[in-house]
Amino acid sequence: MTDAAVSASGLVKLFGDRRVVDGVDLLVPAGAIYGVLGPNGAGKTTTLRMLLGIIEPDGGSRSLLGEAHPRDASDRVGYLPEERGLYPAMKAKEAIAFMGALRGLAWATGRRRAVQLLERAGLGHAADTKIRKLSKGMAQLVQLLGSVVHEPDLLVLDEPFSGLDPVNQERLEALILAERDRGATVLFSTHVMAHAERLCDRLAIISGGKRRFEGTVNDARGMLPARVHYTPQRPGAEVAVALPHDARPEGTAGAAGWHFEMPPEGIEQVLVRLIEAGHGIAGLSIERPGLHEAFVQIVGRDALEAAQ
Amino acid sequence: MSRFRRTVRQTMTIARRDFVATVFTPIFLLFLFAPMIFGAIGGTVGGLSASSMAGNKDRARVVAIVAPEHARAMADADTRLRAVFRRDETPPLLTTLAPAADPAEQAREAFAAKDFEASAVLYGPLDRPIVLYSGLGSRTADYLGVLAGQTLAAEKLGSALPAVSVTKTRFTRPRGAAPNGRNPSAFFAVFGIFFLTLFLSGQVVGTMAEERSNKVVEVLAAAVPLESVFLGKLLGMFGVAVLFVAFWGTIVGNIGALMPPSLARELGSVAPATGTPAFGILFACYFTTAYLLLGSVFLGVGAQATTMREIQLLSLPITFGQMAMFGLSAAAVAQPDSWIATFAEVFPLSSPFAMAGRAANRAEIWPHLLAIGWQLLWVGLFITVGARLFRRGVLQSGSARPWWKRAPAS
Repeated sequence: MTDAAVSASGLVKLFGDRRVVDGVDLLVPAGAIYGVLGPNGAGKTTTLRMLLGIIEPDGGSRSLLGEAHPRDASDRVGYLPEERGLYPAMKAKEAIAFMGALRGLAWATGRRRAVQLLERAGLGHAADTKIRKLSKGMAQLVQLLGSVVHEPDLLVLDEPFSGLDPVNQERLEALILAERDRGATVLFSTHVMAHAERLCDRLAIISGGKRRFEGTVNDARGMLPARVHYTPQRPGAEVAVALPHDARPEGTAGAAGWHFEMPPEGIEQVLVRLIEAGHGIAGLSIERPGLHEAFVQIVGRDALEAAQ
Repeated sequence: MSRFRRTVRQTMTIARRDFVATVFTPIFLLFLFAPMIFGAIGGTVGGLSASSMAGNKDRARVVAIVAPEHARAMADADTRLRAVFRRDETPPLLTTLAPAADPAEQAREAFAAKDFEASAVLYGPLDRPIVLYSGLGSRTADYLGVLAGQTLAAEKLGSALPAVSVTKTRFTRPRGAAPNGRNPSAFFAVFGIFFLTLFLSGQVVGTMAEERSNKVVEVLAAAVPLESVFLGKLLGMFGVAVLFVAFWGTIVGNIGALMPPSLARELGSVAPATGTPAFGILFACYFTTAYLLLGSVFLGVGAQATTMREIQLLSLPITFGQMAMFGLSAAAVAQPDSWIATFAEVFPLSSPFAMAGRAANRAEIWPHLLAIGWQLLWVGLFITVGARLFRRGVLQSGSARPWWKRAPAS
């Protein structure tokens, strides 16, 4: 096996004449938590489906866990699709065991592990309950457990947080981290930045079928300048003279504070000017932009509005 | 694990799920006992109809207006002739009436009699009788004509009527020596397989609909090749069909032990050309391939349907298709060496039926091995095409384009 759990080069998918995915490259390091971010309709799900071999690409190549054909790695992969689906008449533990059996796990082992996983997730009481009697969130958790019951080397989750309440979102984050700690690679798509920011070692941002960014969360955030918040000791309009040109007063007119983008050369020269002019420093904070701002910057506000 | 072993394992996982999900439900009991339920309903309705018809039959008569001196001889001739008929084919009972002043008028009035229902009425001299008949009484009119002739012959010859003593000995025709190459078991084979597949293989039409409505199809498609999903579903439902056949086979087999010896002997004499054990094995093989062939077509077609209404609409053309294959195969076994027979044996959807008929008509085994291989090839083809259509239509994806059509990144 190579160091990359997933690699894709120039993936293309056409739906009719429309290029839904247009030359996407991905390299997911083994053992990492990797996020695929993008607005609705960006091509995230189609990309994941091509990586898994559910649909065939119209161009490019991909490999999964070192296998050129994704099917050859299917027993070592766990998958939670965007559209959740379980057989309503199945019991929870049977549903989990069935999903394990599809990936080569013996039924008896699957049932035993299913009970353990359900208990660990706080759903031990529901092991013998039919899926149709579970709440939507519980059923979603059951499906997630079904995707990890065979202890896969690669876990692919398509929009795993959608439809979950905050408690279950937290459980899911814990489960993703636990899978990574077990040694698995986790690849998930989302358009909720907070999860990606907390979890991802690396991420790719896709928009309009193209990959717009690839790197760490810090790399993404580093694409935008930090924001400086400054409060002089003696407020006054003359403070602006010593500040960069983009400085704006904070809040309502007459407020004491100012904010401006971190100058490319750093904050030191600005501070020297302020002190020499006698404005003093009552408060100073440097706020790094979040992934959300970086995402909006990368994808473009117009593309986001079009997606919505 | 090799790709083949993994595929087999995945296929059997799907088959197991479908089998368990179908069999361990209360609805399955209804399905299993459906023949009994419908048989009971049919029997009750049929019994009521039969008793009503029997009442009518008890009152039906053939009437002969003959002089009293002929009546005795005619009754004797009627007794002799009646013995030739099967019970359900015997003519109505004979009633003789002495001629009135106007026998023609008397004959017409006989149809209006209140104590019996005349089917046909004979009057006039026995060597030139006139027979009136009503409705469907043409054959009973013929019978009265023959009866008149027999009566005259008996009267003329009297005690000189030669007594014939018949020795009846059962003869079993040598195996494979059926006249014109036709064997009665051929039609039984064709009908048997048709009957079983008619009931069972149509069930697979809607099985993919479950996955689509539950959105499980994406989970399956990610883990298992769609061809395995299709084959697994087919095998799962075939398991259900085998259970159904085994259940009813056991019941019918035990009822067979209670059947009258004459009927059992009659059935025992139906000897297929390949011999009973080989024929039994071939019948099972052809039932399997017929199920898989029709099932794979139905599964593939049904998988393209998007709603239950569309699936229900498909059942009519499917039944017509099955009827057409039955008709073609029945024609093939009736004309074993004709081009129809060859066509039916080669055409994949009729091949199992026609070849089962051939197993009854001809002793060679090798064409069957060839045919089973040919039929399984088509099962594979139908499943592949069905899965590809499903992938294209439902998963919104065609197969990978050939390299010369592959799209580069823009």
